[in-house]
Amino acid sequence: MAGGMQGGIITRSYKSGSIIYFENDKSEYIYILKSGRVLLTYTKIDTGEEIKEDVRQGEFFGVKSALGKYPREETAQTIGETLVLVLTLADFERLILKNVNVVRKMLRVFSNQLRRIGKTVRTVLGDSDSVSPDVELFRIGEHYYKAGDLTKASYAFKRYMEYYPDTDYAKVAMDRIKSISSGTVSTSSAGTKTVVASDSDLDDFAMDDSPDDMFSMDDAVSADSGGTGDSEDFTLSSELSSEMNDFLTDSDDSLDDFGDFSFDEPAAETSSGLKARFNEGVAHLDMNNCSAAAAVFQEIIDEGPPVKEHEKKFFIDSYFYAGRCFFEMKKYKEAMTFFAEIIKNYQDGENFKGTLFYIGDIFASAGQKEKALAYYNRVLNMTPKDALNSRALDKIKGLQKS
Amino acid sequence: MLELDEKFFARFGVDYSPNEIIFCEYEPGYEFYFIQKGRVKIVKIINDREKTIDVLSTGDVFGEMSILEEEPRSATAIAVDVVRVFKFHRDNFDTLLQGNPQLAYKLLLIFSKRIYDAKRRLMILLLEEPSVKVMDVMIMLAEQNPQFDVEGEIIINTTASQIASWAGMADSEVQKELTHLARVAKIDLFEDRIAVKNIRDFQRIVTSRRKNLYS
Repeated sequence: MAGGMQGGIITRSYKSGSIIYFENDKSEYIYILKSGRVLLTYTKIDTGEEIKEDVRQGEFFGVKSALGKYPREETAQTIGETLVLVLTLADFERLILKNVNVVRKMLRVFSNQLRRIGKTVRTVLGDSDSVSPDVELFRIGEHYYKAGDLTKASYAFKRYMEYYPDTDYAKVAMDRIKSISSGTVSTSSAGTKTVVASDSDLDDFAMDDSPDDMFSMDDAVSADSGGTGDSEDFTLSSELSSEMNDFLTDSDDSLDDFGDFSFDEPAAETSSGLKARFNEGVAHLDMNNCSAAAAVFQEIIDEGPPVKEHEKKFFIDSYFYAGRCFFEMKKYKEAMTFFAEIIKNYQDGENFKGTLFYIGDIFASAGQKEKALAYYNRVLNMTPKDALNSRALDKIKGLQKS
Repeated sequence: MLELDEKFFARFGVDYSPNEIIFCEYEPGYEFYFIQKGRVKIVKIINDREKTIDVLSTGDVFGEMSILEEEPRSATAIAVDVVRVFKFHRDNFDTLLQGNPQLAYKLLLIFSKRIYDAKRRLMILLLEEPSVKVMDVMIMLAEQNPQFDVEGEIIINTTASQIASWAGMADSEVQKELTHLARVAKIDLFEDRIAVKNIRDFQRIVTSRRKNLYS
């Protein structure tokens, strides 16, 4: 074995068949294979199988055990004349601080390993040993409630209601929240909010005021008179989409707020727990945390349609809720981008009607009375009738008076 | 410390007042946190008592498991004093690393340790006999003190129910094993700790059983 220095880092050369370290050795050195071959031999925990793995040139080895300060889990042996760089922890830290990409790669490898181990652990445990998180969360609330630590109790109960609203203790949790906050429960909801059009609302987007662009409900229907409801919807939707495209043509950079968010993880990996994340977004919105909520929905949207059928609803609804978030923030143009997606692609979704209503609100805010009326009318005529229909009627009456 | 501009703080910075919960055990979690100012205690409710597992301060990271896992939070994080954190959704992870190599290094350390712990736990779970599992949990807990001396008596601060959770066993089953070990004078049982007379005995038994697993 011969040694040399390279930029403060030691280079070592090994003869063929040398052991760089043995399994169970304790050492704080980290190695990089410079030339030659290094074979790592380890035993798989779950099967006892002996695994041999080649280190590729330029690759690190011995990292985890050195960083974690635990015994080596593998034996490293050379094949042929081999050169390795030997790094102390300090060398290693200095080196990686300059190469974040290396760290990122390692973290990905580590997280995959951890994920795999976690999966095996859960399999071994039969996956069902775990307690149900909803009951446990409720219990934590109860613990703090009984201990008189009401802030914490309230937090736990609120989270319980957010994530597990349909479970056993929902009523008790709700009662506890009410008794803690002495009956004042926030009811902020976009739908009931009075929309006040003002000049500043218009700052966010440019409206084309040319009469040609005016949308009229009557026109849409007469263009397709005698058609089925479906084809009417189609006509309506294509009208709507082209109108929305106009609305959106004057693009600005406001959506670039999301530009530096990164979505490297494949959708399949992040989409599990979609429901919980979606609910988290809704919770943010309910608490008037609009930008946080918008970020959540944006993430869900950016991950693309989920693979699991039952999760598609959350993906589609994210457009609606993202629209609502921006609507609340009076960023009508952004709101419109999201609502447009519903109109174009998801007319079957349960929020289609709500979307039409919000678009009405946006046009109303923008002082585009005719367009607003068209959308409210559309809502008004939709079945089944619900509170939204009567709210649309109120809006129409209000607009007609003004 | 993270050195970030105002814009960054405006987007990711969150303040908490003393005694405020940052996240609660068993709630779903998708963010991890980096403490900018103040102290955060990590607690669990065990047997209806709030037990502090750790107290973290400026520069520390918590909630980092959410980067990898879909699991609910495994502990509760509470602000001890006025706390300022950066709160990052796991989807922003890459962006974050780019600007903050120190954080990256810290996470490497945390994950290395965690992988080891997870593997170690898996090794326990894979053992077949309940009595051997219980022994191996005690060995593992003893190993966590790097200065532990295999020759003498070792005190492990743990309870039957903690051992049960490590071993994936029922509390009562662990209690039975512990009672047995106490009866044959291998250990002394206390409410909050266990004194192991000769941990080498346990190590020998576990090693031989583990060998047999694969053969």
